[in-house]
Amino acid sequence: MNDKKVVEIKNLVKHYGARDFQTTALKGIDLTIYKGDFIAIMGPSGSGKTTLLNILSTIDKPSQGMVMLDGQDVTRISNKALAKLRKDKIGFIFQDYNLLDTMTLQDNIALPLALDGSAPKEILARTKELAAMFGLEAQLRQYPYQLSGGQKQRGAVCRALITNPEIIFADEPTGALDSKAGKDLLQCLCKVNENGQATILMVTHDPHCASYAKDVYLLSDGTIKCRINRGNDRKEFYNRIIDLQTSIGGDFA
Amino acid sequence: MSIIRLAFFNFKNSFKSYLSLILSLAFTILVFFNFQNIIYSDVFVLLGQRNKDYIDMLIEVCLVVLLCFLFFFLWYATNVFLTRRKREIGIYIFMGMSNRKIGSLYLVEISFVGITALAMGIGFGVLFSALFQMIMGAVSDLAVDVRFGISAKAIKMTSVSFLCMYLFFALKGFWNITRSSVLNMIMAAKQNEYLHVKPIVLLLKAILGIGVLVLGYYYANKGSRYDTLTNALLAVILVIIGVYLLFGGLIPLVFQLLVSRKRFLYHGQRCLWVNQTIFRMRKNYRTYAMVCIMGICSVSALATGFAMRNRYENLVAFDNQYTFQFLSSQSNIAQTTEAILDGKCTVAYQSSLCALVADSEPLLSSYTDVQQMHLLLSYSDIVQAAKAAGVTFAFDEPANDEVYYLSHLVLLSFITNGEAEPVTIAGKTYRQTQRIMIPYLGYLQKELGCLYVVSDREYERLKEKNDLIYYICNYKLKDDDVFNFEEIRMAFDTIVSNTEENYTARVSIDPYSNEGEWIKALHSLCIFMFLVFIVASGCIMFMKLYNDSFEEIQRYAVLKKLGFSTETLSASIAHELATAYLLPFAVMTVSAYFSVLSLGKMMRADLFSVYVVSMAVVSVMFMLFCVLSITVCQKTLLFARDNR
Ligand SMILES: Nc1ncnc2c1ncn2[C@@H]1O[C@H](COP(=O)(O)OP(=O)(O)O)[C@@H](O)[C@H]1O
Ligand SMILES: [Mg+2]
Repeated sequence: MNDKKVVEIKNLVKHYGARDFQTTALKGIDLTIYKGDFIAIMGPSGSGKTTLLNILSTIDKPSQGMVMLDGQDVTRISNKALAKLRKDKIGFIFQDYNLLDTMTLQDNIALPLALDGSAPKEILARTKELAAMFGLEAQLRQYPYQLSGGQKQRGAVCRALITNPEIIFADEPTGALDSKAGKDLLQCLCKVNENGQATILMVTHDPHCASYAKDVYLLSDGTIKCRINRGNDRKEFYNRIIDLQTSIGGDFA
Repeated sequence: MSIIRLAFFNFKNSFKSYLSLILSLAFTILVFFNFQNIIYSDVFVLLGQRNKDYIDMLIEVCLVVLLCFLFFFLWYATNVFLTRRKREIGIYIFMGMSNRKIGSLYLVEISFVGITALAMGIGFGVLFSALFQMIMGAVSDLAVDVRFGISAKAIKMTSVSFLCMYLFFALKGFWNITRSSVLNMIMAAKQNEYLHVKPIVLLLKAILGIGVLVLGYYYANKGSRYDTLTNALLAVILVIIGVYLLFGGLIPLVFQLLVSRKRFLYHGQRCLWVNQTIFRMRKNYRTYAMVCIMGICSVSALATGFAMRNRYENLVAFDNQYTFQFLSSQSNIAQTTEAILDGKCTVAYQSSLCALVADSEPLLSSYTDVQQMHLLLSYSDIVQAAKAAGVTFAFDEPANDEVYYLSHLVLLSFITNGEAEPVTIAGKTYRQTQRIMIPYLGYLQKELGCLYVVSDREYERLKEKNDLIYYICNYKLKDDDVFNFEEIRMAFDTIVSNTEENYTARVSIDPYSNEGEWIKALHSLCIFMFLVFIVASGCIMFMKLYNDSFEEIQRYAVLKKLGFSTETLSASIAHELATAYLLPFAVMTVSAYFSVLSLGKMMRADLFSVYVVSMAVVSVMFMLFCVLSITVCQKTLLFARDNR
């Protein structure tokens, strides 16, 4: 395995609220993500998954601790540098796709590169290549409202991948999809990960979804309870996740 | 909670989202009130009884225009509001409220809005009225002492007309809600999901639009002698339809073509704003077209005002070419009048000449049948008179079978130059090769309407045959010497005579008459109208874009999450909004040019400078509104605290 550290967090703490009514969402998290990883973070509702992802994706700031992204400490750099970091190093996949309904799928996918000022020719080639990889060639000229949920989410994955980010953050990527479309999407993610094209951090509450990852971290009550590795058999991995889940308990949602 | 309390609660809580509606309504009321205030103030009465007919007509025209303006504005504003409220209060359906109840809720809410707007409109209107009166005093040089004040009748009229129309649209909304299905209400938000318009449809619309516009411009500039008014009307209708089709067809088509050229599109923020523009265009093209048409109308109104003013000033100058003129059968008229004038004042210039009645019918008997009369002047006489008055006579001597007709200006003539009919004088037919509008013989030219210039040879030839000659004598007094105008006129009245052996007529032009004050009032009204319509169209654009920006919040939140810098997104917003203002402006610039051109043709005035100035004003206004829109939208979309 490649040992380039893409993300490194140490003793991450996040408080919410004013002094008297403080809740602590994250209570000291340590996590390192290497290039080529595919990590799923699972945990019951309220365990701090979204908070963790928001901090990692620099949308939110930690109260304490260190977050290194591609060698830069995100707590120490300016907002402008943060935006640049977000644009160049991070790809996002959201639960509700978040494609812009004002443009075709092709333009949606091309948007990050176009705004970045790449050459049109290059953008066009890259868009086509990604679309082919995710089986979306026929849909390129269509608008998001003409697409199925699965197609939209695959389009969102293309958009996330087009800038060749260091890491992709996915928040419940299958949350709005039916099981078939969800499975397709996860297979796609697996494929790009295995091809070495993407490092992925995925947040989910669904064990089936998590079983596609290489590693699963269980988050509970603001701390990482344990980590399990997939090995070779996904079915068996799935069963292990279920067992772990029941042993920890809590409301998975 | 009772409906009223719920409505009040809603009103209080989402005051901000009502604000654009309230402000635009208040603005409309303000404008309307100000007009009413002028109309009911005594300013027009002061302008004098002689102008009363014109002024009444003017007021009626203004009222009709304003009522139309109010009507369409209310229609538009309430419609925007209805769609927005429908999806918000549609939620109450899930709380078991009936359509009727929700409708009543809407009715109460919109009443709050209306009453607030009315109060604000009249309140600011009163303030603005004072300001406007000062501006009006500055831009127009009305000879009357302008004291407007605030008229209670204006407040009453404004409130009543606003409330009536407003109630109508409120009830229309109520009716709409009670009749809409649950799905329709909840889906009001989703109505944005447009269908991609087929290029062929756009192409057809575009071709049709261009055709209609070209036809419109053709009619606007068609120089026809009799149908100018019909042509103008036709042109107006065609241009309006054409503009709509342009915004619904050609412009989206061009943009769609641009979007399909990825080489062009994938170029920085273009990818974002061009797509956004297309999206907006499909939803907003009616607004753009409306703004555009309002702009054309306002520029035309301004041009009309200037043309009328210009024409009027020419008319006055025409009449004032001479202060006193005499037409007499007495050959010694020049001596007689000079003797009377002697010592009373200074003469700036004077001239005397002979006019031949070739048809040998005495002036007396045929005066009622002017068409049959021809008073002939010799070419060298008229050149002499022109020289005396210091104007050049830039026409060559007519040929022996030609005459020049000494014509006059009228305020509203829709006749453009055409071939004049030949005239028969003393059995010989002459070609009328010139209609001269220059006041070589001043007011007499207009009064008689039967003065013709012939060549010297022809004049001599006709003179041989008959000896009925009238003597014309013109005096122009030095302007600052006419303090005793009345006295001189009285003195001249003694020689006026209307008998067989002595026919002597006198024409006098009082240089201080203020008959034409109404035209100055019209002129200022035109300027005001222009400003109102331009500000109104700017407001409509702003309101629309501001409203739309709320629908964009989510889109921009996503873009921000994706890591696009604020600068990139700001630039994209600026591009998009600038385009939104630029498109109507461009179409307006072209259309207004044609409209002003045809107006100028119709009224024989050079309005190009008016066009340039008015377009400059429009562009400054639009620029201001555009900057305002950009700033406000950037603030709502990028810098608002609550849409991280
Ligand atoms: N903006 C916030 N303000 C206050 N508390 C918050 C906020 N966001 C999350 N929390 C709290 O932090 C904890 C973790 O929330 P979250 O990260 O959303 O969990 P998950 O995504 O795993 O369901 C919860 O107890 C939640 O109440
Ligand atoms: Mg969550």
